[in-house]
Amino acid sequence: MATQILMPALSPTMEEGTLAKWLVKEGDSVASGDVLAEIETDKATMEFEAVDEGVIGKIMVEEGTEGVKVNDPIAVLLEEGEDASAAEDAAGGAETTAEPAPTGAPEEDARERPEAKDMPAEGKERPSPASARAPDRTPDWPEGTATKEVTVREALRDAMAEEMRRDEDVFVMGEEVAEYNGAYKVTQGLLDEFGDRRVIDTPITEHGFAGIGVGAAFGGLRPVVEFMTFNFAMQAMDQIVNSAAKTLYMSGGQMGCPIVFRGPNGAAARVGAQHSQDFAAFYAQIPGLKVAMPYSASDAKGLLKSAIRDPNPVIFLENEILYGQGFEVPDLDDFTVPFGKARIWREGSDLTIVSFGIGMKYALQAAEELAKEGVEAEVIDLRTLRPMDLPTVIESVKKTNRCITIEEGFPVASVGGHVASQIMQQAFDYLDAPVITLAGKDVPMPYAANLEKLALVTVAEVMEAAKAVTYR
Amino acid sequence: MRRDNDVLEGMYRLMSLTRALDRVVGAHDGHWHGLEGEEAVAAAVYYGLREGDTVAPHYRGAITAALAKGADLGRMMAGCLGKTDAYHLGRHRSDVCGPPEHGIIGLYGGSLGPPLGYACGAALSHVMDGDGDIALAVFGDGTSSRGDCHEAMNMAAIKALPVVFVCQNNQIAISTPAPDGNGGPIFERARGFGMPGARVDGNDVLKVRAAMDEAIARAREGGGPTLIEARTYRVAGHFVSDAEDYRDAAEIAAWRDRDPVARYRAFLIEEGVMDAAAMDALDAKLVAEVDAAFTAAQDGAVPDPGDLMPEDVFA
Repeated sequence: MATQILMPALSPTMEEGTLAKWLVKEGDSVASGDVLAEIETDKATMEFEAVDEGVIGKIMVEEGTEGVKVNDPIAVLLEEGEDASAAEDAAGGAETTAEPAPTGAPEEDARERPEAKDMPAEGKERPSPASARAPDRTPDWPEGTATKEVTVREALRDAMAEEMRRDEDVFVMGEEVAEYNGAYKVTQGLLDEFGDRRVIDTPITEHGFAGIGVGAAFGGLRPVVEFMTFNFAMQAMDQIVNSAAKTLYMSGGQMGCPIVFRGPNGAAARVGAQHSQDFAAFYAQIPGLKVAMPYSASDAKGLLKSAIRDPNPVIFLENEILYGQGFEVPDLDDFTVPFGKARIWREGSDLTIVSFGIGMKYALQAAEELAKEGVEAEVIDLRTLRPMDLPTVIESVKKTNRCITIEEGFPVASVGGHVASQIMQQAFDYLDAPVITLAGKDVPMPYAANLEKLALVTVAEVMEAAKAVTYR
Repeated sequence: MRRDNDVLEGMYRLMSLTRALDRVVGAHDGHWHGLEGEEAVAAAVYYGLREGDTVAPHYRGAITAALAKGADLGRMMAGCLGKTDAYHLGRHRSDVCGPPEHGIIGLYGGSLGPPLGYACGAALSHVMDGDGDIALAVFGDGTSSRGDCHEAMNMAAIKALPVVFVCQNNQIAISTPAPDGNGGPIFERARGFGMPGARVDGNDVLKVRAAMDEAIARAREGGGPTLIEARTYRVAGHFVSDAEDYRDAAEIAAWRDRDPVARYRAFLIEEGVMDAAAMDALDAKLVAEVDAAFTAAQDGAVPDPGDLMPEDVFA
């Protein structure tokens, strides 16, 4: 049966375009996937492929025609054996096939997007609490606040010191946190100020001090337990996952566990497979645990202060490589950053890059490089993974229609995988490309320097992914 | 120990209550971890604690611990059955997890060992709060093999925490006899950790109580932790449904003859503290109370499906 081939829509909001060039002529046999024509809009050119096999019976719109409306018939496809008269009938509109929009379609200005209420997916009666909340766009600190450059290491120390001054119940415990000032010098000066009653050195005993920390939190204190690295926290999984996270719920609300487990997480430099892993997705999976993974010093400080005040157990994931990095931190007496509020580091309309922790380094570097090439990326730092600020991500994706996620953790069941699934569920109709989730490679971290680099995310990979989702 | 008739009677009451729980709950629940043979340890260890003291009990005796600390019997029975009146709202079993509001840290982690650390943490919070309260960590010979046990004891000794470790050594971990689970006497580890340690006859409630009095006083006075190994015997199976084809019936019978309850009754009669009729009457009364509470719990409401409440996961 002869069918009409219709002018394709390259995106949900495209209304018309130019039929730039025909790559077939009447009488040509085509197979599914053959390029039939080139379609142009003011933003892009794309190849238009055949969906079915057949013979081009009639070309109804000459090449070079501008302003061809979407879904107008542009040609007639005959089945094998049909003659031209069938084409004439079909051209009259007897039978039409709406060609689906092909994949790989860069397109028009996102601001032309219809309001969310017009989008079919939004019309469904489906609980979607995350997207129901409007993103919180208040700045982290008031405009005009003085700032000074502080390293992440100092910011974390300042956060603990300020909270220890504020609340007698706060204490710090872990291996080498007191006399040695921390294996990574994060607890520098705390012993001098607060004494050994509240800055407690422990033996090499993760079961011991994680257990005491959890028990003390059960008892109403606010322990900040430092793991020399989160790799060693694997020893204490029962304390963290089975007890700290679950007891509030299991006890019917009788007993909670206001504790912070903090320390470096993720790859550093050539410390091997067991010492180079990002546990963000691992902990974010557990109901009852809050998870923060700051990138900047202001977030390190503001989030750690919030974590210490939080009535729930918080996994606070730091990064050895970032400890020495300086950032502007507001000069405020009591600066906190709330959990569940992402930070937009850079606004852009061409794609959304979602990351957190050290992944932000690649995100921001790549965004700068992309800007030189005329691609404006919106860069979102999730900052906390539990709770996760999906409304900010969703709103951004509704604007940019493209998204990549970056993390150093393993790729299976990753944070990016969760973000991508939520975008699919909450903003499917806004997507112009599949979300690309960049993660560390699915391999225990090799020791060799060159292999280690390959196992992590690179700026080049981010650039490549950005180009892929923007079809460049 | 003090020859205080209130204490002596109070401990008998806890023994009798423990036996009543075995009889009533054990008849309904094949997973009930019975205490037959070990009642003296439970009674001596959990009797007479302060309201502010924290207890991380052995799962075998956890209800006795909770009741000794003032928990409501009806709500505990509701907890055994996952009913809505339970302290835990039906979210966890009360036979191993007593109510935190009565200072009980249950087996929340679900594996043996971590509660010893939690007891140390509770002890640390008592130190920080300066309230003079202490913590008890009670565990079996099986749990004593766990790294958690060693790490908790080591930390407690280093920090001189007000905690009393009690090993309720019933000489068998499910089917593993203590000699196959412990390389040496458990109480002797105390010396290695740098704390006092003692082994006592766990079938003699007075001996256990004397050791507890000393250890508790030391803890309250800032003298740090103590390890008490109360050697007893698990006459009961690991749980009610246990086929028990792994040990000699003669061995069980021999220990049944050393019944700590009968032994204590003889002592109380001889000392003129309580007579047999009074104890029999108390036994019957407690069985009736537990039975009534259990029956009421059976009739109690199960949680509403709406009580899943994921919002309660976070404070």
